[in-house]
Amino acid sequence: MSGPAVIPRISLTWLLVAQLLVIVPHLSHLPLWIVGLWLGCAAWRIQILRMRAGYPNAWVKAGLMLGVAVGVLLSRGSLIGLDAGVVLLVAAFILKLLEMRTRRDALVVIFLGFFVVVSAYLFDDSLLAALFSLLPVTALLAALIGLQQSGVAAQPWATARLAAGLLLQAVPLMLLLFVFFPRMGPLWSLPLPSERALSGLAESMAPADIAELSRSGGLAFRASFTGEVPPREQLYWRALTFEHFDGRRWSQSAFARLPLAPAWEKQGEPLRYSILMQPSSQSWLFALDVAETSLENTRQMSDYRLQRGRPVERTLLYQVTSWPAAVREPAGSSDNLRRALQLPEDGDPRSRAWGAELKRQYPQPEQLVQAVLGHFNREPFGYTLRPPRLGLNSIDDFLFETRNGFCAHYAGAMTFVLRAAGIPARVVAGYQGGEYNPGGDYVQVRQFDAHAWVEYWQTGKGWVSVDPTFQVAPERIEQGLEEALGDEQSFLEDSPFSPLRYRQLTWLNQLRLGWDNLNHGWQRLVLGYQGAQQLQLLQRWFGRIDARVLALSLVGGGGLLLGLLALWLFKPWRRERDPQQRLFQRFERLLARHAVQRQPGEGARAFAERASLALPVQAQVIQDFAAAFEAQRYGGDGVCPAALRAHLALLRRALPWRSAATRDP
Amino acid sequence: MRQQLKQRWQRWLGRRIPPAASVRLSQRRIFIVPTRVGLAFALALLLMLLTAINYQNSLAYALTFLLASVFIVAILHTYRNLAGLMLKAAGARPVFVGEQGQLRLRLESSARAHQAIALGWPGTAYQTRDVPAQGVSECELSLPALRRGWLRAGRLRVESRFPLGLLVAWSWVDLDQALLVYPQPLEGELPLVAGADDQLDEQGMRALGPGSEDFQGLKSYQPGDSKRRLHWKAYSRGQGLLVKDFAALSGRDPWLDFEALTGDVELRLSLLCHWVLQLSERQQPFALRLPGQLLAPASGEQHRDACLRALALFGTPG
Repeated sequence: MSGPAVIPRISLTWLLVAQLLVIVPHLSHLPLWIVGLWLGCAAWRIQILRMRAGYPNAWVKAGLMLGVAVGVLLSRGSLIGLDAGVVLLVAAFILKLLEMRTRRDALVVIFLGFFVVVSAYLFDDSLLAALFSLLPVTALLAALIGLQQSGVAAQPWATARLAAGLLLQAVPLMLLLFVFFPRMGPLWSLPLPSERALSGLAESMAPADIAELSRSGGLAFRASFTGEVPPREQLYWRALTFEHFDGRRWSQSAFARLPLAPAWEKQGEPLRYSILMQPSSQSWLFALDVAETSLENTRQMSDYRLQRGRPVERTLLYQVTSWPAAVREPAGSSDNLRRALQLPEDGDPRSRAWGAELKRQYPQPEQLVQAVLGHFNREPFGYTLRPPRLGLNSIDDFLFETRNGFCAHYAGAMTFVLRAAGIPARVVAGYQGGEYNPGGDYVQVRQFDAHAWVEYWQTGKGWVSVDPTFQVAPERIEQGLEEALGDEQSFLEDSPFSPLRYRQLTWLNQLRLGWDNLNHGWQRLVLGYQGAQQLQLLQRWFGRIDARVLALSLVGGGGLLLGLLALWLFKPWRRERDPQQRLFQRFERLLARHAVQRQPGEGARAFAERASLALPVQAQVIQDFAAAFEAQRYGGDGVCPAALRAHLALLRRALPWRSAATRDP
Repeated sequence: MRQQLKQRWQRWLGRRIPPAASVRLSQRRIFIVPTRVGLAFALALLLMLLTAINYQNSLAYALTFLLASVFIVAILHTYRNLAGLMLKAAGARPVFVGEQGQLRLRLESSARAHQAIALGWPGTAYQTRDVPAQGVSECELSLPALRRGWLRAGRLRVESRFPLGLLVAWSWVDLDQALLVYPQPLEGELPLVAGADDQLDEQGMRALGPGSEDFQGLKSYQPGDSKRRLHWKAYSRGQGLLVKDFAALSGRDPWLDFEALTGDVELRLSLLCHWVLQLSERQQPFALRLPGQLLAPASGEQHRDACLRALALFGTPG
């Protein structure tokens, strides 16, 4: 680096601003003591700037570093891993700013700052977070520019404007790189942020879990259909099935983890759609029955769910084709059926007895199922998110005592009764319905759309889905949870300000749907722009895509964009090369031809006087030109090349046409 | 080999950027490469790209590409900060050997402002100047004067790292500036031929015996003494008011004669230089004779400068 090593004030100012902006997005997941450290160090740094405090000495620095290491160890449990790594990175950024003295230190802080911004993206990559991150990036660039500014006269805002201008001018090139730069798979696996509290379906279910989910307005996924969106009551999004019941909880059987592709026949018209799934930290995907997907590393499991090789930790986009009318496992496999008849050793005697009695009454499974559904419909069963507490025999208590509950209660109870009656059955968990967004033509499914229903097996027909909740609260299926709960006021009762609660306000609802649509586009087009999507888009544009096309596009497009930018920056059509100077150079050349060379550093007047001595005949014309030039150049006279040109023409006429003898060699 | 390459480079530069009293930095004259900071920045970008790839994070990709694009766009900006700048030689004051020569430069902007322009000779500390839009900025560069005669300023490096410091654009400019360096004045005996104007024919060149008309030393100030002869240095040392006492150099104007001295040429020139200064200070008309040159007796600044110039250029070609 040239120049003095001290950091210009402007740079320091912007670094302090950048520090604030860089750390703010991290606040949600940083331990509290980091905030304290940051405030303390920033205050200290400002005192140093005001000459009221000194730099920390080696002992203080060592102590701070040790303190940070211990703090990270205590609050994160380790010094490695992404969460600990990010805390360490932020702490390094804070401490380095405190001890920074030279330009070199400042550069390190600026580069660290860019990394901290990148690490924030790993925790939050929403549209808002992305837009916000432009602020710290601008501030960091301003600090970088400030390092080059020597003048005390430089203004902080002018520096920031320059930084913002640079960023704006870089945008077209950035877009080009973003679209064309080839995406590849991860080179090695890295730890992921773990501290994200994800709500969603789990591998086992007690009724309370679903009630918990119903309190969340969080997004589960969005589905865009090719063609008509099916009616709401047909949207049963399967996630997984529960086959094992221990008397309280329903859970996935160990067998379900084996990848056994079940038998099924495609029938009827398929539905084609794509799903943009939010991170769930689970490896099952959501789809309508019976689904096939082209997503790599994903297969259909024995219970018809789609299972991915690794958990969904990032927004995931996948294409699905579903055959709603398909017949599943019409022959049946003894193993599968046996598992679908499992019941606990004892407990719930009344339900078992009822099942046995139903079996006697209705030899046909179909009739039996209808009888159970009819029972739910006829008897005074109620739908509520605040069910009364159930005793040890939870199924008995629900069916014969409380008779109030929600989907998980109904699905669990019905499966139990069907099994007691000897019909293979299981609980299916997933989501039901969703909200149609007319602006974006997609269905958005939220956590409170979580649902559980039943499927039973019948010879020849295979697995058939039924929904007992529909008998009790058809509005849950046809309209949604909020309508089903009616006056209960339990819909999203923990989040009084959720815009989802105010859907009756038209303008607010419009705003909410519009915002969701924007986010949907953001996730599909920007966040989801990885390998497959890139290939798809480029193939649509170019037909065939290979390394040559990519390289040509990058180089050609980049050159074109830079050329345009250069044109805009330099505006060659506006350039006016100092006309006075040009004319004076012509004057100089003219006299040089007559053996009067201008000496280094010789002024116009001195040169003219010397030339007048050498060329006494033309003395007047020479002096006239010099006088006019000086008057225009250094006097207050306006710039008038025409006048100079006239003087020059007179001189040229006055001089002999050529004096070859004295010409320059 | 290295020397040869250097010479070739200098010749090439001479063709590409010929020496001139004023040079406008244009496309042909500006070179640009990344600085070490720029390379470090590129390395940081590479790390960010690796993060983006491994986390498959589109925003990390986007920021990496944005900063890479800023880097590329900065090429234009760094170049633009130098392009169009006009450098002019603004004269130089002659100095004595051993002093620092001051060369004045004018930086002129014909359109936009130019920020943080660093100027200097390789190996010296650079000076940094901002040039306002359509404005002028002056800059004085010092150059050690080691030998008498014309001191050619040589190629000057003009560089700019603005705005980001990631790239450096530079040019080598020869403003065709030269600085006259006088010999270093040295106190010593007065090498003169007194009244040579009328005795020249009879006496030829001859050194006078020492003392009689020499600088005698200092005596204390008496009212009526010329204030021009006050020895201010002694006064500032607290030795009271002293006057430089010259033995009467009355009547005839002294002739300073190169041939009247013995010894090495440079030494003789230094002595002559000292006396030119002394006599000029006293406003004593004097003449200077160098082999092949005669400066007739006169006094005044012009005479002094002419004498010093003659001393400076004595024996040098041109």
